[in-house]
Amino acid sequence: MAAPRSNREFVEACIAAGDAVRIKQEVDWENEAGAIVRRACELAAPAPFMEKIKDYPGFSYFGAPLSTYRRMAIALGLDPATRLPEIGKEYLKRTNGEVIAPVVIDRKDAPCKENVLRGADVDLCRLPVPLVHDGDGGRYVGTWHAVVTRHPVRGDVNWGMYRQMMFDSRTMSGAVFPFSDLGKALNDYYLPRGESCPFATAIGLSPLAAMAACAPSPIPEPELVGMLAGEPARLVKCETNDLEVPADAEIILEGEICPDYKVEEGPFGEYTGYRTSPRDFRVTFRVNCITYRNNATMTISNMGVPQDEGQLLRSFSLGLELEKLLKSQGIPVTGVYMHPRSTHHMMIVGVKPTYSGVAQQIGQLAFGSKLGPWFHMVMVVDDQTDIYNWDEVYHAFCTRCHPENGIHIYRNSPGTPLYPFATPQERKYSIGSKVVFDCLWPTDWDKINDVPTLVSFKNVYPQHIQDKVLANWAAYGYPPVK
Amino acid sequence: MNQWEVFVNDVKELAEDRELELTLRTLNPGIHKFTYQRVKCQLSSDLAKHVDQLQVRLGRGQLSPSRFSIRVLGEVQRLPAKYL
Ligand SMILES: Cc1cc2nc3c(=O)[nH]c(=O)nc-3n(C[C@H](O)[C@H](O)[C@H](O)COP(=O)(O)O)c2cc1C
Repeated sequence: MAAPRSNREFVEACIAAGDAVRIKQEVDWENEAGAIVRRACELAAPAPFMEKIKDYPGFSYFGAPLSTYRRMAIALGLDPATRLPEIGKEYLKRTNGEVIAPVVIDRKDAPCKENVLRGADVDLCRLPVPLVHDGDGGRYVGTWHAVVTRHPVRGDVNWGMYRQMMFDSRTMSGAVFPFSDLGKALNDYYLPRGESCPFATAIGLSPLAAMAACAPSPIPEPELVGMLAGEPARLVKCETNDLEVPADAEIILEGEICPDYKVEEGPFGEYTGYRTSPRDFRVTFRVNCITYRNNATMTISNMGVPQDEGQLLRSFSLGLELEKLLKSQGIPVTGVYMHPRSTHHMMIVGVKPTYSGVAQQIGQLAFGSKLGPWFHMVMVVDDQTDIYNWDEVYHAFCTRCHPENGIHIYRNSPGTPLYPFATPQERKYSIGSKVVFDCLWPTDWDKINDVPTLVSFKNVYPQHIQDKVLANWAAYGYPPVK
Repeated sequence: MNQWEVFVNDVKELAEDRELELTLRTLNPGIHKFTYQRVKCQLSSDLAKHVDQLQVRLGRGQLSPSRFSIRVLGEVQRLPAKYL
């Protein structure tokens, strides 16, 4: 099965697999569409493809695009039944492979140019921008999208998923955190010079393009998409600036980020499951041109309590990128996993505990890396503990993590304004604090006499007894184990 | 009659009967619902004093029970002229 090349192909593939439903009755862009997406997330239900939107004939919505591992497998062109850790292994294989550069296609072949609005016709309200959650600070244009920019000095291209609220017909305000690639370019270059930064927002991307836009990978996103898809991404030049955007995207907004114009942004329902970050003056985007496909579909991610793509996809890619980083440093890790229900706050790292202090070394690397601001807990378990099995991890944590020697706290580290537990002061200045839970038996304990024996079916019975019990399980009168 | 909404951290920010500068969003039905303007305005807790009505949301989007009538005196342009 090939990876879907566009959002349209993805919607069809999801419907065919029973992982999306077509909603034919009219839905309201004010709250109703958002509520459908939210409920679908909370039930891990099929993604809603809403074909008729109040006030916006000809447009549709696709919600909760990647909020289940089944849809993630479909996005990668895998059998929908593929599970973790196989999906993760595939991601690692593809992203460690040959770089696949994008191709730039002719404007006339680019579906995203089917309709072009310029000058006085530019009005974001002509698009079905949803009010995602009641009480949000505004209607959010960008919830599942990529903001495309080019670094002014290095020239490398960045696609990032940074939320964008519609402020008025031509203005959006967005949350671009200072430690993100775009945040750094703005703070290092554009803001001190007072220069505006050209941008393009692409909405309704292929699922792999969206995955690339929120993956914390050092590989530039246009190449990362090619590597994930196994073929070059198709790009097309913008109408009003030199940026290139995915040609198959549903909607493109072109414009400039204004360093000297500030408008309010937020509050907004966030991936932590709360509305935490305060309404504030953030980054202002002025839109000069809108292009879109006929019958364009706007994609919606509705973040809130688990589980949505903010948690699922970010947990997935943060975990795998940390695994790459730790392995590149020679740490004997056996796997890294973030449970989506931790709202990507806890990294679980499996390691062969061959030397002392390895848990702290892992924590320091993880927190000190580019990924660090996004999580504040690292739990290190041994290679005998199944990192994907929360019951095992929780048991290891509650029984092996010494309350005094096993918990290591790091203060004054980078954080985000989104941490629900952070003090108002910490949120305002993106100050974090971090903790490592070392759930390894200390290496200086005598392995025979000091390390407790794990009393489990797998660990304490001889193999022939285990085999006999398994073979006779039904004969004993038990129903089959799923 | 126009319906407006404002976000504040504390309702005390909404002093009555004097000129205030606020960022308001329109709640009038239609495709422009929820778009913002920066305006000069006057408020009153006497809902009959002005024709337009204002409802209030707090820092994390909670709807406040406070209601005002409002007179919008004019728009304030924050956008630098070079972007117009
Ligand atoms: C649904 C969703 C919404 C996100 N919203 C934001 C956001 O508003 N601001 C932000 O800085 N990062 C946000 N992220 C995380 C970034 O997309 C992510 O950090 C990405 O790697 C871009 O960061 P980079 O510029 O550092 O590569 C979001 C991720 C997802 C999945």
